[in-house]
Amino acid sequence: MLTYIVRRVLAMIPTLFLVSVLTFIIIQLPPGDFLTSLQANAADSGGSIDQAALDALRIQYGLDQPMWVQYVNWVKGFPSGDFGYSFEWKKPVSDLIGSRLGFTLVLSGLALLFTWLVAIPIGIYSATHQYSWQDLGLTTLGFLGLSIPDFMLGLIYLFVGVFVFNAPVGGLNSPDLESAPWSIPKVLDLANHLLWPTIILGAAGTAQLIRIMRGNLLETLNEQFVTTARAKGLPERTVVNKYAVRVAINPLISVMGMHLPNLISGATILGIVLSLPTTGPLFLHALINQDIYLAGTFLLMLSALLMLGNLFADVLLAWADPRIRYT
Amino acid sequence: MAALDGQGRLNRRSFVRLVGFATGAGVLAACSPSAPAAPTQSAAVPKPTTPPAAPAATTAPAGAATSAPAAAAAPTAAAAAPTKFTEAPQLADLVKQGKLPPVEQRLPANPLVVQPIEEVGQYGGTWRGAFTGVADFHAYGRNVYEAILRWPRDPHQPIQPGLAEKWEFSPDNKQLTLTLRKGLKWSDGEPFTTDDILFWWNDIALDKSLTPSPPSEWVINDEPMKVEALSPEQVRLTFPAPNGMALRMLAFHGNQWPLNFERFGFFAPAHYLKQFHPKYNSALTDYKTFNEKADDLDPGRPSMTSWRVTSWQPGDRAIVASRNPYYWKVDPAGNQLPYIDELRVELVEDSEALNLKAVNGEIDMQFRRIDIAKYTLLQESKQRGDYRVLRWPDANGSQVALFINQTFDDADLRPIFRDLRFRQALSYAINRKRINDVCFFSLGRETNAVLIPDSPYYVSETGDEYAQFDPDKAASLLQQAGLSKGPDGVWMMSNGQPLELTIETYQTKGAVFDATELVRKDWENIGLKAVLKSSQRESFWPRALDNQVGIAVWGTDRALEPFVDPIYLLPYDNRSWFAPKVGDWYSSRGAKGEKPEADMAKALDLFDQLKGSTDDAKQVDLGKQIVKLNADNLWTMGTVGAVPSITVVKNNFRNVPENAVTDWIYMSPGNLDPSQFFYKKA
Repeated sequence: MLTYIVRRVLAMIPTLFLVSVLTFIIIQLPPGDFLTSLQANAADSGGSIDQAALDALRIQYGLDQPMWVQYVNWVKGFPSGDFGYSFEWKKPVSDLIGSRLGFTLVLSGLALLFTWLVAIPIGIYSATHQYSWQDLGLTTLGFLGLSIPDFMLGLIYLFVGVFVFNAPVGGLNSPDLESAPWSIPKVLDLANHLLWPTIILGAAGTAQLIRIMRGNLLETLNEQFVTTARAKGLPERTVVNKYAVRVAINPLISVMGMHLPNLISGATILGIVLSLPTTGPLFLHALINQDIYLAGTFLLMLSALLMLGNLFADVLLAWADPRIRYT
Repeated sequence: MAALDGQGRLNRRSFVRLVGFATGAGVLAACSPSAPAAPTQSAAVPKPTTPPAAPAATTAPAGAATSAPAAAAAPTAAAAAPTKFTEAPQLADLVKQGKLPPVEQRLPANPLVVQPIEEVGQYGGTWRGAFTGVADFHAYGRNVYEAILRWPRDPHQPIQPGLAEKWEFSPDNKQLTLTLRKGLKWSDGEPFTTDDILFWWNDIALDKSLTPSPPSEWVINDEPMKVEALSPEQVRLTFPAPNGMALRMLAFHGNQWPLNFERFGFFAPAHYLKQFHPKYNSALTDYKTFNEKADDLDPGRPSMTSWRVTSWQPGDRAIVASRNPYYWKVDPAGNQLPYIDELRVELVEDSEALNLKAVNGEIDMQFRRIDIAKYTLLQESKQRGDYRVLRWPDANGSQVALFINQTFDDADLRPIFRDLRFRQALSYAINRKRINDVCFFSLGRETNAVLIPDSPYYVSETGDEYAQFDPDKAASLLQQAGLSKGPDGVWMMSNGQPLELTIETYQTKGAVFDATELVRKDWENIGLKAVLKSSQRESFWPRALDNQVGIAVWGTDRALEPFVDPIYLLPYDNRSWFAPKVGDWYSSRGAKGEKPEADMAKALDLFDQLKGSTDDAKQVDLGKQIVKLNADNLWTMGTVGAVPSITVVKNNFRNVPENAVTDWIYMSPGNLDPSQFFYKKA
């Protein structure tokens, strides 16, 4: 098993390399570069940058070099943890991403947890009470979560929050706790702000999991070992929760690997709508403004997260299902 | 005697008195009749704002002109400088603890006295604003606008003293001597002297590793100016030829923004930055550290502004700027400014969130990025949010202006675009009233002008020239231009092909996009085939610069003092989209681009004359001629202008004028003296 994991991790490296090259090229495809978009932005909102200043910046940032030179400049810093320089923020990329990535992981992780904690019990309940009105009701709720886009839910939440509850707009902490060091009140405040975004983000995935869980469990409940267990006199609860669910849950773990990209991109959109300091808004701006190193590093990080997530899902599956052996 | 009539204009009697007095003063002050030497401007403060409604004709001196001593700003009651000073309570505490010198020692010998707009204020409070990212630097930068000279509050008044208390041109106008206030100090207590100006010029502006070529405003006839310090307070700038734009540039670019994106600046903290400059510190091999330390948002860097950045880290959610204890301005009662303790500009991810904050009352005073489409919502929520909504006319000649590219490369379209009758026809076909009503809540002004009436260069006839809605006239003009209507009612070129126009904009939604769509419909209504193409700003911009756009849409801002960057008035550089190639020719001084003909060449020549003259009246006259050329030739086709900037101000936030023109060249709201804004305690 260990060799398997090591092999998978090593296989990630060429993939990441390919991803980095591709993203670097694609980001630079639109005409112009960071400085022209800067000039355009400035001109639009009041401001103007003259040619001499632009030229100075172009040389300073190395944007006058051919693309492969820029790529090498970026990549050569990787071993030392230097992921390049963000032109827009005028700070090293690693400084910028660190905090944002942290929040994004927390948000996505909690959303994933939420999805699971909600969907699995509901799925089990639905399966055991098939076709009852509770089943139909819960399934409908799940589908509502699936069909209403998360940005829509985000906007509704924002509207209700501001106009009904007078909550402040945006951010993951209240203004007064913003720059305070971490403490229990700050964590609680963070939890408070994260509650609804987590629910919104998780809502979409819930329906899918409910249906899958329900379907799998129904199938499992028809298996012979379940009948045997019942015949042997085990309480229904034990039969379902301890034995049937364990078998039914396997496909779900695989599905989790597929869920990750949705979660991360969903967090992106939600971050923009709700003005959360996650990777989403920063990433979007970097792409639009051709802040090449920042955008490239983001994509690289997200790809790495994805692959690690898949690996984790596979390992989890092997742990949960003794029939699976990796070589 | 009421100096102002009911509408805020000077009444005739006081006008005559003022002119008479000013002329008398002028006769006394002028050295010789031929050389318009600038009078030494004392620390007389600008008159408190009168609403800038006076039409250009009635004011004697031209707007932001300076050397004419007929300053409408010199009221007889030139404020007697206060001699006793007080300071904010927190600073007084620090003085008691011995951590700060007393206020008399912190202020310069001649602090600038700022007249409050409403009343003398109270200390305290945090000013909350919002911005969308570091590229949105103006959201912070304009509130701390602090330059060698200052733009006045009222555009009809001359340029005001700033860090320099007086200035003087030599008789041949080739030398400008600036005298700084004695005893100015940086925010860390070190003296501010002409060394800081020299450092900026010699080690930043002229250092090729930081600036490939010196700032163009200080290069006349290919020669950069010479800067020499005559004393710690006096500096002399020497130009190869008279520099008529010098004073405007000192008010505009003479800020301390040397190393953010816009590379403005006229001074930099030498005592702090020298240690990071490779020229002075041999241990350094590149300029990376210097760039970081000299950046305007770096908390370690001393500044001359009313608040200085005390917190800005990657991952921060807000720029926090606190009171500068060495700020060099006071109010007439001797209180050291600023009144407000702290500035907190919060980072939002999207301007929609910013607008929601404004609606929710979380923003104390801002107009930047407040969307006019939210106007009704803001009005509805003002009770709830405890704020008032002001409409400040924006110095935008036309919110939606069309530029017909006369240097366009298309063989068929080029001669058509260059035909004035064609452009006139396009202009007559536009229903401007409908655009105003639909897109701007009828809050704008239907006009063809590039400038707004408050500008000293405004020529009133240009507003209505070709601006009437007359589709029949448009049709007849198209015929005169050699087009013919085909059987399906679509206009065809002389080669029999239908004429197809592509209007390009970078907006994908909002008022400007809707307005452009209405223009497109108007043109289709008279039989022209028109297509609207919108792309992202970042891809639109380089294409427009590269002469690839036939009909570009943009707003014409800087409509108050256009000549510091006159891209919409004349083909100044490749951002002048009615003739980018001519702009290239002018900005490269003939090295590339297309040579201008006829009126464009004339306009450029007039502009050169304007730059070389230090006589305000002459500059205004030349400027007006250029404006008239632009209007007659329809280089810039305007639709609806002077759309107000929606300003949200909390009800307890005072000393904000009811009426002001917002303009980026004027660094609004910087020219309104944010240091005198205050929170009124109930």
